[in-house]
Amino acid sequence: MQRTQRATRLLTGALALPLAGALIAGCSTTSDPSATEDLKPVAGGTLVYASGDAEPNCLDPHVGGNYPQALVASQFMESLFSKDAKGEIVPWLAEKSEVSEDGLTRTITLREGISFHDGTPLTAEAIKANIEHLQDPNTASSTGYLAVGKVTEITIVDELTAQLELSAPDNALLESLSMPWTAIQSPEGLKRDQAANCAAPAGTGPFKVESWDRQQAVNLVRYEDYAAPAADPERAGSTAHLDGITWRFIPEAASRYAALQSGEVDVIDNPQPDTIATAADSGLGHLAAPRPGASNRVELNSSKAPFDDASVREAFIRSLDVNTGIDALYFNTAERSYSLLSSVEPLGISAEEKFGTDVERANQLLDEAGWTERDAQGYRLKDGKRLSLSFPVSTNQSVPAEQSLFEQMQAAAKNVGIEVKIDLLDLSSWYGALAKHEYDLVSAPYTKVGPSVLRILFHSDSTVPAPSGYFANNAQIKNPQLDRLLVEAEQTNDEAKRAELYERAQQIVLDGYYVIPLYDQQNHFLFSKNVHGMGETTAVSSPTYFNVFLNK
Amino acid sequence: MLAWLGRKVGGALVVLWLVATAIFIGVRLIPGDPAEAIMGGPGSQASAEALAAARSEYGLDLPLITQYLMFLAKLIRLDFGTSYALKDPVLQVIAEVLPPTITLALISLAAAWLLSLIFAMLAMRATRAGQCVGNAVEIIAAAVPHFWLGAVLIMLFSSMLGWFPAVDNGTGAGLVLPVLTLALPLAGFLTQLMRDSLSTALGSQFALAARTRGESRLTVFWRHGLRHAALPALGLTGWAFSSLLSGAVVVEAIFARPGLGRSLLSAVLSRDIPMVTGIALFSALVYIVVMALTEAIERLIDPAGAES
Repeated sequence: MQRTQRATRLLTGALALPLAGALIAGCSTTSDPSATEDLKPVAGGTLVYASGDAEPNCLDPHVGGNYPQALVASQFMESLFSKDAKGEIVPWLAEKSEVSEDGLTRTITLREGISFHDGTPLTAEAIKANIEHLQDPNTASSTGYLAVGKVTEITIVDELTAQLELSAPDNALLESLSMPWTAIQSPEGLKRDQAANCAAPAGTGPFKVESWDRQQAVNLVRYEDYAAPAADPERAGSTAHLDGITWRFIPEAASRYAALQSGEVDVIDNPQPDTIATAADSGLGHLAAPRPGASNRVELNSSKAPFDDASVREAFIRSLDVNTGIDALYFNTAERSYSLLSSVEPLGISAEEKFGTDVERANQLLDEAGWTERDAQGYRLKDGKRLSLSFPVSTNQSVPAEQSLFEQMQAAAKNVGIEVKIDLLDLSSWYGALAKHEYDLVSAPYTKVGPSVLRILFHSDSTVPAPSGYFANNAQIKNPQLDRLLVEAEQTNDEAKRAELYERAQQIVLDGYYVIPLYDQQNHFLFSKNVHGMGETTAVSSPTYFNVFLNK
Repeated sequence: MLAWLGRKVGGALVVLWLVATAIFIGVRLIPGDPAEAIMGGPGSQASAEALAAARSEYGLDLPLITQYLMFLAKLIRLDFGTSYALKDPVLQVIAEVLPPTITLALISLAAAWLLSLIFAMLAMRATRAGQCVGNAVEIIAAAVPHFWLGAVLIMLFSSMLGWFPAVDNGTGAGLVLPVLTLALPLAGFLTQLMRDSLSTALGSQFALAARTRGESRLTVFWRHGLRHAALPALGLTGWAFSSLLSGAVVVEAIFARPGLGRSLLSAVLSRDIPMVTGIALFSALVYIVVMALTEAIERLIDPAGAES
């Protein structure tokens, strides 16, 4: 019923998502000491943030487009759309948006009175300049480039209105435009050479880039002319509480945590699971903000033996006891997922029954599939060939706990006679192994707002590598029916229909035993007790600091 | 001296050429398309045209031998190329990150020498049992890896005692733990080296003679023992300095310090070939210069020894 009500909203153009209770988890704190007190915000002070990610080479998230860039850029750049606390897409820099009957023309009207950090007013010209910047090969955008892939032409209607022509209807466009990788920056700034724009992109956010001492810190200061909307109406028209943010990069997890404990830094990201588990006891605040898009998962390469046989895929999955491993290795800070999508995605469906441990069934399936003989080490053989799986693991993308989880899977699979060869690789070598199809198992994160991530991950088009060798359909699913569902789901303007199509698509992938969902993409933050007001995030769950204040 | 200098410079050039060639071949054996590294790194969505444009801009579409000759020709003009990831000239990046690394290495070297002198003096006065304990401590210190020692020092002096900051903050206090992490293993090593020659020197006729003249044990230690004991350790200072530079890769990451080590790490991870090449060549150059300097100093202290 909720869905039919909301479907009417599409007539006015706003893309709406059905409400799901799980969504609120996306923006809530689990153990926030500041939440219990009702402190009056204090202005002033500089917050020190310590990131465990690699320092970006460019602060403009259009260039490349990864999560570390999104984390910092969320402070100084804003998007046309955002996600509210209920998980619905809402206009942000945009005031409203309409789509034509055929779904091929999207009109976006901007709010009035907003200026970029360099003084340039926000006009329709900015929409055109930014989307063209994303599509320019010299920008080398990867994430944002895909997000605006269907936009063929941008026309400026009037000062605040732009019209986007699309090659096909795209009901995910507003979700795509809510991500930091498509955030809007000053068209004047974009006219500079790339190095200059990378060093200090001019956005509209509550903080602006003052300087960037490479390998030390990005120094952000409050933007005094901030005029963009605030999620909290009481804060509309005001500026950030903090004087600024010192954005540091501390790659070592133990050093980062020690620096937080000793008060040298105020907020850290990428904490180790054991430190999250004991955060409350250590007097620290904790923000859990699972990323949208796909859940973290292991994909089974169905394009070659032995996983071209669905019963071998099921046997492998049934041989594992993933839950025990997750609880132990993550100290109960990560919840097991049975869905292809993140728990913050309302259209995700869960299929717990597909992933229960059943060693007996695993053995039976393998026997039936002809893997009956055993070699000296106890591994199964068929026609003299060992049942062996290669599993390249990227050390950049898998934390140590996850690598241990994979090792536990390896041990469990051995019990039924399957050999798993784990290869720890750096990012380039890992992409190299994928490009050469030298894998049977692989785990690759994918962050995107909305269920259209399913098309990127499971449409047969995504088995065709980009010129760089990259492809997203690692399970190598080529199913014409699934392809049709995914395309139709993206084009319909009926919200209920969209949900139904995505449900059927997910069911096909789950039924085929192509994927082992593990948990949401973990995104945790720890902060000291003098940091208050933490909890607001962008559409991709990167925290924002507009309402944060220090009480030292 | 001039002939010696000429031989040194000639040798250095040959070594640099060999290093440059080895790096040129080495980085091309690593998997991954350099054009991809230029166009946004691994997993980028760069189009075929964009990749082709990057290839021709950076000369990656030319035959390997042409690329090699161009690479050498540029090196002769001291042109290390432009970083793929940062889009800045490699030499400029190195110049920016060099001072903090050199500072860290020099202070650590001085601290290591100071520590090993203290160890050696203590060892001289110690009982037999004390010497055994001292010996064990030195061996352990010399053997511990930097990443482990750094983590332990942070736990002890930052988390538990709160004496020093865990990560670099631009002040002198922030230097203490990184310097100790680099200096302790080196000090253990240097003391081990000095110990043997020190006991030989102090047990020798001239030390005994000096004692009978009424000089104190400490004076004998400083004036006679140390001079003999320091020589072998000094000869290794060149090696020690280079080991400090490589230790900086780990220490800069642990203590979040800016520097050459961190640049190298991120360059390797992002397949930034010009940056990796530049830093490797630069390190080779530093090694050659420091080795030549220590040799020159040795010749000054002990001219007879250097001839042999």
